[in-house]
Amino acid sequence: MNKQSFVYTVVFTFVVAFIFVALLAGANAMTVEQVRFNQQIRRQRAILTAMDVPYETEQEVAEIFDNVEEVEYNGVSLLQLDFDGETRYAQEVSGGGVWGTIRVILGIQSDGERLLGIEVLEHNETPGLGGRIDEDWFKRQFREKKIIDGTIELNEQPGEGDFDPDSGRIDRITGATGTSTSMRRIINASLEEVLPVLGGER
Amino acid sequence: MSDVATPTAILKENVWTSNPIFMQVLGICSALAVTNLLVNTWIMTLGVVGVTAMSNLTVSLLKTFIPRKVRMMVQTLIIAFYVIIVDILLRAYLPDISRALGPYVGLIITNCIIMGRAEAFAQSNPPLISLWDGLTSGLGYMGVLLAIALFRELLGFGTLFGYQVLPNAFEPWIIMVMPPSAFFLLGILIWVAKSIMIKQGEPV
Repeated sequence: MNKQSFVYTVVFTFVVAFIFVALLAGANAMTVEQVRFNQQIRRQRAILTAMDVPYETEQEVAEIFDNVEEVEYNGVSLLQLDFDGETRYAQEVSGGGVWGTIRVILGIQSDGERLLGIEVLEHNETPGLGGRIDEDWFKRQFREKKIIDGTIELNEQPGEGDFDPDSGRIDRITGATGTSTSMRRIINASLEEVLPVLGGER
Repeated sequence: MSDVATPTAILKENVWTSNPIFMQVLGICSALAVTNLLVNTWIMTLGVVGVTAMSNLTVSLLKTFIPRKVRMMVQTLIIAFYVIIVDILLRAYLPDISRALGPYVGLIITNCIIMGRAEAFAQSNPPLISLWDGLTSGLGYMGVLLAIALFRELLGFGTLFGYQVLPNAFEPWIIMVMPPSAFFLLGILIWVAKSIMIKQGEPV
């Protein structure tokens, strides 16, 4: 057979492409469940962390998460969990960062007085600079942080973390003013939406 | 390429005398992008080693059937196939690393080293030696990237493979975290490697 002929070339290319694509489709089908499970468990962990709910194993995450309800008050969707004798809320919010979209989960107390915590789901910030929003110290600043005048503000100077829950402020990240202000904007936009709902519920 | 393609000659050539990164200066963009943490670099380069080896093997096995006109198209298809397999595996079993590497796994497809080896070696050599050629080329790439990542993580974060090794008093160099620092380190590395080669009397 003439391997340089037009017909052979077309048939060969078609067959090769078909085989490889079929193999890929197979590999994808075999792992799709695992990938979905990974994403789900990651989101669940993030929501529990933001709500300041402790957990250890994956099973524990699944058990606690069974009690998380998706609720809607006046058109605002929230996640609601009764834990430790109190109702806790969380909202998934996103907004523009320096390079791409930042998606965070924001945990809020039911009286809207304080945050519970935050967890970063997704970001494309510069590794080592804005990317530090995903570091523990940065997120820990939001634990039980008092919401003053409906907002969380940034401290004037960058620092290693403002861990005073009553300050209502967090430290900006050194060398990442853009990302820090984006976080402030995203969180405050969420608070503006959520706080009236929490206040109006009682 | 040398005329005698013995396994040891290929190893030496691919890892040292014509190392894809510091002699041929191929695959630079990933060398800049993923080398600020050793763990990410390790997984990424492992992926490249696997893809280069397997695509070389496959191209060599199929070479007598591939029509000349669509040679490079088929090579790209084969490379893309293995890269997507790597991506799927990472997403399923190493989700954190998959997220950290982001688009760079997919971009292995465009890594000139892989295409270069398929075209320059696998297309005209038997399967096993092609597998070896791909493997060693990947190792040459891996060695250089890990060396760069070692310095970047150490100076940029004070850690190695995520473990704190420098005292807390150490002030991390932010530049080491940013991609441009890989340029400086790569330059230094090429300088060192070429100096050694000149001393050894290798033609540079």
